Amino acid sequence: MIRLAVPALILLGLPFALSEFWTFIAIEVLAFALYAVSFNVLLGYGGMLSFGHAAFFGVGGYAAAILMKKAGLPAGLAFALVPLAALAVSAAVAVLIGFLSVHRSGIYFAMLTFAFQMLLYTVALKATGITGGDDGMTGLKPPGALGRAFYYYYFALALVAPALYVLYRLVSSPFGITLRALRANPRRVQYVGVNVRAHQLATFVISAAFAGLAGALFALSSGNVFPGWLNWTASATPIVMAVLGGVHTFLGPALGAAVYVVLEVLISGRTEYWPLAMGVIIVALVLLMPEGLTGFTRRKDA
Amino acid sequence: MIDSVVQQLAWVQNPVVVARQLLAGVSNGMLLFLISAGLSLIFGVLRIINFAHGVLFMFGAFLAVSLVGLAPGTTGGFVSALIGASAGLAVLGALLEIGLLRRIYRSPHEYQLLLTFALVFILGDVAKLIWGREDNSVVTPQLLTGSTHAFGVTFPTYRLFLIAVGVAVAVALWLVLHRTRWGIFVRAATMDRGMLSALGVNTRWLFTAVFALGAALAGLGGALAAPIVAVGPGLHVQVIIDAFVVVVIGGMGSVLGALAASLLVGVVNAFGILAVPGAAVVLTFAIMAVVLIVRPHGLFGTPE
Repeated sequence: MIRLAVPALILLGLPFALSEFWTFIAIEVLAFALYAVSFNVLLGYGGMLSFGHAAFFGVGGYAAAILMKKAGLPAGLAFALVPLAALAVSAAVAVLIGFLSVHRSGIYFAMLTFAFQMLLYTVALKATGITGGDDGMTGLKPPGALGRAFYYYYFALALVAPALYVLYRLVSSPFGITLRALRANPRRVQYVGVNVRAHQLATFVISAAFAGLAGALFALSSGNVFPGWLNWTASATPIVMAVLGGVHTFLGPALGAAVYVVLEVLISGRTEYWPLAMGVIIVALVLLMPEGLTGFTRRKDA
Repeated sequence: MIDSVVQQLAWVQNPVVVARQLLAGVSNGMLLFLISAGLSLIFGVLRIINFAHGVLFMFGAFLAVSLVGLAPGTTGGFVSALIGASAGLAVLGALLEIGLLRRIYRSPHEYQLLLTFALVFILGDVAKLIWGREDNSVVTPQLLTGSTHAFGVTFPTYRLFLIAVGVAVAVALWLVLHRTRWGIFVRAATMDRGMLSALGVNTRWLFTAVFALGAALAGLGGALAAPIVAVGPGLHVQVIIDAFVVVVIGGMGSVLGALAASLLVGVVNAFGILAVPGAAVVLTFAIMAVVLIVRPHGLFGTPE
């Protein structure tokens, strides 16, 4: 109980201790923590390296923005529908992409997902009438008091915490154990009589749906969505976060997300060469810290 | 509606326009070939997707800007820029392979992707530190400016030059890969690295050499592109995407596939701009998606 109570109290008390600026950063951390953990359910548990997961984060963001700006619903209702819409739209897109790609192995799966992300990126860029094209969609604001960081933080927490719990239950369930077995040896799992492709597709869709929810949460806190969210450089973000935190723990990627977001704020505030700094951090991570920040357990399938 | 479509497609009947677009497409395709041949070769042998390949191309273009600046407009200055950019990138490529890539061949895929990705960020910013943030241009040497008349159509001479260089490089690559001992090793490595190594070939240095060759081709491509593009810090972004599309369509690891797909993508883009203005990019991604679904190992690739 204590192990759960302390972090819970810290998370609940955070907005009281932080300035508005840092509360916004805390919201960003929550959104990206969900993004990174959902991505890692695919990578760390399922052994599937998606290089197009930014597509779902972006689709979730655009789903939120379009619902708020273009659907013609009252602001309160539109806002209330955002989480469901983001989950549903991302899941639907993931069914399509996943159906065409989950049965490919290793690097080919990465490339396929990457290709579909770039396809969606060009759609976001060119479908100017719906997505605002290059300019993206700006001026998104949750209604009423939720527009303030203090309250929006609790709204985000109220979605991210249960979402993480659902993902945790998923990976601890028999489904999750089958998933880990798949990572280790898909052929053997198939011989046991498991429908490998269905398992992989289900994981892909669930992971994508929560990535979409994360994108929607972030879109409404930052106030905008840009096509750049789906661009190829965005594909690396969840991988960096997961690897930084450690892909073999459930919450490691959330820690990675927190460190990544805070580092970005601190470094990009001081220098315009944030990409250079991040590049050096990634190289150091890859070469020196292959198990990430939480890396005490050894890679079993290496 | 129909009228506007017909109007937009009116150029089909104009052989001059068709010939011009075809030439533009083929010459752009040749530039694409230079970068994607290296990307494909590197994947085939090292099994690494080198996302930094676009940045290497950009470095080649920047090097050309600096080298041409020493003797602007002269043929000698331009030729030495081409050679200098290729050689410079070969050295940079070898250093990157020895210093970084060599350490991660046994790592999981995500580490390999992250490393070449980190190189994009690092080298991209290093280029800004060295060459600044402005767009530069390179003066075409006197000999290659102006236009050439053939078959009743006027072509820009530089475009013809690009095609000639592309063909020469393609032939040279084929000869190296199929008529030299080293080429046999490279092709063997794309099939079974472990076996090649067991047979006593020093694959460590083979990998270094392949990466250096790929980087040199990217550098040459960048230097050749310098006179017809704006050479700035954003140059690499589109280039790597196009090259990636080409390599996927052609088949990862296949140089012949890279050549065919480069020409295909170059020509489709050139005509796509006329047929569906603004949406030509979608066309190439659509081709890629179809190829990936129907023939996931690409037109000339070998199945996984």
